[in-house]
Amino acid sequence: MVMEPSDYTNSETNLDAVFAALADPTRRAILSRLAEGQASVNEIAAPFDISQPAVSKHLKVLERAGLIARGVDEQRRPARLTAENLAAAVDWLTEFKEFWTTSFDQLDDVLNQMKQAETKETDHE
Amino acid sequence: MSDLPEYVIDRVFDAPRAMVWRAWTDPELLARWYGPGVETIIHKFDLKPGGTWLNEMKWGDKGDLSKAVFLEVVPEEKLVWHHSSTDSDWNITSNPMMPDWPRVLLTTVTFEDAGDKTKLRLSWVPFEASEAEIACFAGAVAGMSKGWESGFAIMDEIFAEMQADNS
Repeated sequence: MVMEPSDYTNSETNLDAVFAALADPTRRAILSRLAEGQASVNEIAAPFDISQPAVSKHLKVLERAGLIARGVDEQRRPARLTAENLAAAVDWLTEFKEFWTTSFDQLDDVLNQMKQAETKETDHE
Repeated sequence: MSDLPEYVIDRVFDAPRAMVWRAWTDPELLARWYGPGVETIIHKFDLKPGGTWLNEMKWGDKGDLSKAVFLEVVPEEKLVWHHSSTDSDWNITSNPMMPDWPRVLLTTVTFEDAGDKTKLRLSWVPFEASEAEIACFAGAVAGMSKGWESGFAIMDEIFAEMQADNS
């Protein structure tokens, strides 16, 4: 099924790149870290068992997906979250989930109606 | 197969298994609940391996077409189909907003007794997908996992703050 959050249809948001970036657990952890505030590569690398070049690579993927921006400060180039693409991804996922949860709520109603119809039939007999 | 990303939803329905099966496989009943708050029109529903389910959903001035090709039909136990979005001629298309969203999702629905109730499990796995499609779906599945949801909640708060700062 095609579920498009209508507000984003015409924007340049590239959700493909966003979801591909989110597929990696380290990159998700980096985003969670940045949710607490901007950080340099050193600061981001500290809690992980990976090298700074590896962190830099992940940051590049996140930057290309439009999920983060890097500061201009040449020494530290702190990374920070950018809101728009991640918000678009969250919206899309919410809609995807709601497709089934809301449909299943509706199925509950249909089942109740079926049960009532059966009870009526039994009463007639 | 095992390393493909899978999206799973479990749900218990307060009705016997035969009734839940009927609600899934009688097109008149299916159209009443399938699709959240939309008008659902079932153009074709041929419940047998190789048979198709052509589905239209309408809301406002928008619409969505999809096709299911049934692979397995085990009464009151299991339904398996290939699920795809389609154009107006029922040809499989990619998602216009997300070209890397898997074009075909292998969908498995199982029905199990849980006392007087019925436990249903729905699973989506990309079928014959490209690496890009698998990566896209893996990210979406990861984005819907429980731990990450709370991460999103934190980020939502931060975005709200950022937007407040900007205005």
